[in-house]
Amino acid sequence: MLERLRNPWPDHRAERTLGAVSCLVCALVVAMVVFVGIHAWPIFEHNGLSWLGSGGDLGRQLADMQNTTQHPPPSAYHLRAWPVVYGTLLTTGVAVVLALALSVFSSIFIVELAPARLRRIAIPVIRLLASVPSVIYGLIGILVLVPFVGNHVISGAEKESVQNVVLLTGAGLSVTVVILTVMITPIMVALICEALVSVPSSWREGAIALGVNPLRAMLAVTLRAARPAIVAALVLATARALGEAIMISMVSGSRAFSPKPVDGLVFFFEPLRTLASGIVDYHEGIGAPALGSALYAWALLLLFSAFVLSIAGYLIKLPLRKFQVRG
Amino acid sequence: MTRIRRLSLAFAVAGVLGVAAPAGASAVSTVTISGATASYPLVSLLAQKYVKTFPKKVKFKITQGGAQIGVNDVAAGRVSIGDVSRDPLAADPAGLVFYPIAKYGICVITAKSNALTNLTSAQVISIFTGKTRSWAQVPGAAASGTIDLISRTSVAGVLTNFQTLLLEGKKVSTIAAEEPSEGLMRSKVESDPNSIGFVSNYQSDKGTVNAVGLNGVACNKASITSGQYSGIARFYEVTKGKATGASSAFIGWIEKSAAAKKIINTQWLSIS
Amino acid sequence: MSTLAPWTPPAAPGPPMKSGRGKQSSPLSWRWGDRLALGFAWFAGIGLCVIAAAIVGYMGFRGIQYLRPDLLFERPALSTTQSGSGGFLDPLIGTALLTVIGVLLAVPLAIGGALWIAEYGRPTWLARVVESSIEMVAGTPDIVIALFGLSIFQLGIFAPFSFKASGGGVFGKSFIAAGAMMSLIALPPLFTATRDGLQAVPMHMREAAFALGKTRIATIRRVLLPSVRSNIATGVTLGISRIIGDTAIIVLLLGETLRLDPQGSVPGVGLLRGTGSTLTSYVYGNSPAGEGAAPQKAYAAAFVLLLFVLALNLIVDRIGRSSADATGMTVAGGIV
Repeated sequence: MLERLRNPWPDHRAERTLGAVSCLVCALVVAMVVFVGIHAWPIFEHNGLSWLGSGGDLGRQLADMQNTTQHPPPSAYHLRAWPVVYGTLLTTGVAVVLALALSVFSSIFIVELAPARLRRIAIPVIRLLASVPSVIYGLIGILVLVPFVGNHVISGAEKESVQNVVLLTGAGLSVTVVILTVMITPIMVALICEALVSVPSSWREGAIALGVNPLRAMLAVTLRAARPAIVAALVLATARALGEAIMISMVSGSRAFSPKPVDGLVFFFEPLRTLASGIVDYHEGIGAPALGSALYAWALLLLFSAFVLSIAGYLIKLPLRKFQVRG
Repeated sequence: MTRIRRLSLAFAVAGVLGVAAPAGASAVSTVTISGATASYPLVSLLAQKYVKTFPKKVKFKITQGGAQIGVNDVAAGRVSIGDVSRDPLAADPAGLVFYPIAKYGICVITAKSNALTNLTSAQVISIFTGKTRSWAQVPGAAASGTIDLISRTSVAGVLTNFQTLLLEGKKVSTIAAEEPSEGLMRSKVESDPNSIGFVSNYQSDKGTVNAVGLNGVACNKASITSGQYSGIARFYEVTKGKATGASSAFIGWIEKSAAAKKIINTQWLSIS
Repeated sequence: MSTLAPWTPPAAPGPPMKSGRGKQSSPLSWRWGDRLALGFAWFAGIGLCVIAAAIVGYMGFRGIQYLRPDLLFERPALSTTQSGSGGFLDPLIGTALLTVIGVLLAVPLAIGGALWIAEYGRPTWLARVVESSIEMVAGTPDIVIALFGLSIFQLGIFAPFSFKASGGGVFGKSFIAAGAMMSLIALPPLFTATRDGLQAVPMHMREAAFALGKTRIATIRRVLLPSVRSNIATGVTLGISRIIGDTAIIVLLLGETLRLDPQGSVPGVGLLRGTGSTLTSYVYGNSPAGEGAAPQKAYAAAFVLLLFVLALNLIVDRIGRSSADATGMTVAGGIV
């Protein structure tokens, strides 16, 4: 029997085996959606889609879920998770917008304006930053940035102004967004630099020959041609920001509170919680069925948004295909 | 080549089986424990002593997550014993047996720099329910500014006992920050000069925070032993149904042996 | 054509043509918007470099301050607080073990999938489905993969992979569970690197093999796989760097005991079924977010982690450069 396995295989058997291996990967993805969905179903059953809305104190609701037993009454599944959804949208949105601006202009700097020596060290350093684990960003955040903001930036008066609603420590929106931006910028810079370099330089030189100044030529010609890569970088960065759990759980203040812009400057220091960091924070209570369902529902939402992101990226890149630069 | 490969494969399999067989014969039973962070230091010490006294009989796997998590895990059969730092509640699942093993005290703590010596019950209630928000309204406090309330997450047994014993049943305000464990509560209060919180006496006796007296009685092991301090609670080991097998042996040893009593009396108070 | 005047050469050669960028407009004469953009580009670029230098420099400074060689060889202390004695040998072993399991499980899946997509790929709709599912895995947050792992490994049939408590509940957390999910993390970079390498192999190599009478699978085995060795190496290194940096899966699926805690009495299998920790969960546990209360040890472990990542990045660069020299083709060293 070993002989049959060791002799060269006929092509059709090899094709079927390799095809089976590939289908195994598909099966894993399907299994992921199915299993997460099955565990998340009770929340949908008892709340419909309104669990995404707001109403009541999310912290209290989750606490009540944790205190139920193996056979919780239907009232235990009551969930209004808008604060964590809002926290996710807020941090991801602001971080991605800031990172887009920062990365596009840094890429232009690295590719066009930087002196050659700086360019040679910048690219490996950016690639190193892109692979730094998130727990190291979280460590620097919680040991350096959070005490700095808590002790030197937040004033006593600001703390007192919200003292009846929430506790202001240094951990909150500002530190979270800053570190998240720094985390996703190197990913985007690496991809955008690669794309900018692969645009034929004759296009830009043609623009310069027509009298356009070099920076405008870069912006108007090369950057436009690299749009598919920028969209790909955006999708990648947003997916990374959405799924960031450990770093945010270390620096966000871990309170299911919706930061209110009307609070003025204090808005930047208010604590928050995101979907992913909430899953990490509450994971020990996953044995309680009600809380477990809530966490799986949040995971399903994250899965769904990752799926929507990649479809959106594909759709945005479709009309850009007419450019001949590889996207 | 084929023969050598086949022979070496046979040897490898025989080797693995040969090692596995005698090792499998003397199986060591595992006792899994999960639950309160307040009793975790005590139960770890007891487990270590038990393993030293009866080597090669039992292995312990102890995790912590909060008293309620211990109750849920034991009820679901995920662990053999649950560490619980609060008294049984009516809402607890049926069929659980609570074995008391030690007594401990709940102390209100502030940062070392805030040398507050005493608070009355009324003051404690007013501070922790969020009515008093500024240190200026607390006589004897060395801190100024907003009171940073630090509390525990809802699964904590110490929180339940604190609310029952010191807050007369009222709930801690939702403004409070929630720490998932005693160690984190202590380090939060250590680092924030404006904070106030509550821990078991084991944590406050370490000396890194200021333990506040209640109604004129200081909160330390001496006053707990003498019974003067009013915030005294119990640690329980909980099993589903009566304890059997290795769990029953362990709990019996804790209740009866002199070595266990000695360990308990170092930082806590034994039951009998 | 005949109406054109005859061409006469110029009387004397003109000044030599200068090569180079030529006369450029100076920024002072640009529009305001362009000047603003220039300023912002400089600001962003220098700012990013400064931030990068600050992060690497600060971690290096703290790491050298707190890292002692004996920390690498001592086991962690048995108590929850790590501020006393004890090192992080067990987390190091845990990281290595998890990486090996993850890569071993990912390699057959990824290479098999890439081979099928690049060489066979029939029916086409199935090929597109497979590619999209790998993209979905790539875009899934690691916390969702961890929850998926928890939901699978706490099923009754997977009880041999961790252990079953006396009341019947399956623990579900072990090296095998975490390693299996880590393979999903390492799968996309390995798959992408191998598939891109296979697609970059010129058709004439395959056609030469076919002309000599080799079957497709034989060409794969003897011709294609050896030629994409460097791509596979790059993919494996990228996968390893993603595995060692991941914390969420460890926190949920590895049982987070500071020391390696084998389960059961069979020596090797017991280790795989048992729980432990890795460098990332050690750093997380010792930061103010965890119990350990030992920021110095956290800095030291984080520095070691950073050194590993740096070494892996250098390896990827080296492979990329050597393969470019050898074959004249470049390896796409992506970030994914």
